[in-house]
Amino acid sequence: MTRVSIKEQVLNFILLLLVQLPLVHRISLFDKAFGFFYVGFLILLPRTFSRSYLMLIGFFSGLLVDVFTNTPGIHASASVFILFIRNFWLRASNDDSQEITNLNVASLKKMGFLYFIYPLVFVHHFLIFVIENGGFHLFGTVLSKVFFSSLLSTAWIFIINFIITPNRKRS
Amino acid sequence: MQRLLDFLYQQREIAVFIGLEILSAWLLINFNNRYNASFLNSSNEAAASITQTSNSISNYFQLSEVNQQLMLENERLQQELRMLRTEPSSYLDTVDQYQVVGARVINNTFERSANFITISAGRNDSIDVGMGVISSFGVVGQVKSVTNNFATIYSILHPKLLVSSKVKRTETKGTVQWEQEEYSRASLKYIPRHIKLKVGDTIVTSGFNSVFPENITIGVVDELNLEEHMTFYEAKVKLATDFTSLYQVFVIKDLLKQEKDSLAIQ
Repeated sequence: MTRVSIKEQVLNFILLLLVQLPLVHRISLFDKAFGFFYVGFLILLPRTFSRSYLMLIGFFSGLLVDVFTNTPGIHASASVFILFIRNFWLRASNDDSQEITNLNVASLKKMGFLYFIYPLVFVHHFLIFVIENGGFHLFGTVLSKVFFSSLLSTAWIFIINFIITPNRKRS
Repeated sequence: MQRLLDFLYQQREIAVFIGLEILSAWLLINFNNRYNASFLNSSNEAAASITQTSNSISNYFQLSEVNQQLMLENERLQQELRMLRTEPSSYLDTVDQYQVVGARVINNTFERSANFITISAGRNDSIDVGMGVISSFGVVGQVKSVTNNFATIYSILHPKLLVSSKVKRTETKGTVQWEQEEYSRASLKYIPRHIKLKVGDTIVTSGFNSVFPENITIGVVDELNLEEHMTFYEAKVKLATDFTSLYQVFVIKDLLKQEKDSLAIQ
């Protein structure tokens, strides 16, 4: 088992969470895709952190985004949920997850990385849009927003992670 | 024993999970009510100044569009001024009653299920909770919360905001409410069936509450539906304000608000 890479976490924090804040309403494609890519920072927190600790980080990051979107509680609750299920999903989706500490494109392999993050991003966006919508009416519109937004977020997280991950193999 | 400890450890995580989710739900319910404390809003000083910085960068790319809008508005104002000069002073008391504060839009959403606008004017510019906000084209929304330099506004594209309105041609009172349609339209409600409403009728504010002055454009009726069993029309209004390009708004301060409201209580 390797040590937690502080540098990688700091870069994730800056490029995924801090960059999101001023951009939270500015990225929108065709009025459908919004992209809350800050969830990438949460999903890619080191595997070795304890779950309570993860959920606390998730709660406060979510709340920070909430301040910018005027939706106190929505992003916070979705983020806490994502971090609650993340380690289950990591174990289920990746066979040798127990040897990986730092989750990134290199350690999970490209396809494995997408396979790991996309469902989580989708669930996260689904929760946000459904809670914001206040129920299941106009469900088609909500679902299309979720679909396109989660694609956009996943693409952003993948690109950022691809750039900041060092090329040599490590886990 | 080890098993028992493991079990308790598992439970502890679930307790943290449930606790945090309940806290989020509490925030969601409490802070989504109308008019509330401002530190969890986009008008929070720290959050708003970050938004303002990013906005002032992107502003450079919108300059030509803003110029175009300002020119249009100047034209309209010139025209109104000419009308005022020719008309006798019946307008004067309404002019004195309202004070207008201009502000720059630093954040604006229109594609979400409930939309808010953040502007760069606050308590220091004598803006207060509950005031009406208009643009040069029509109604925009109502102030939700203020800090010293910023304010958050319920956009008319927020399902909880009801605007007291009337049909300009017939003077019929109704209510405009956004029911999560696309961002260029809203619903017009409570227009009774004996009124001959037409597509193309202009809908303006009624001036019945002290939020908006009378006769500010809300939009134009563009879809009508009246079936045999219905008491009221089912109408859609095309909004006059274009929320996709909203850069400058005006907050309306009603100087007689207190007086009006105290009468309503008595």
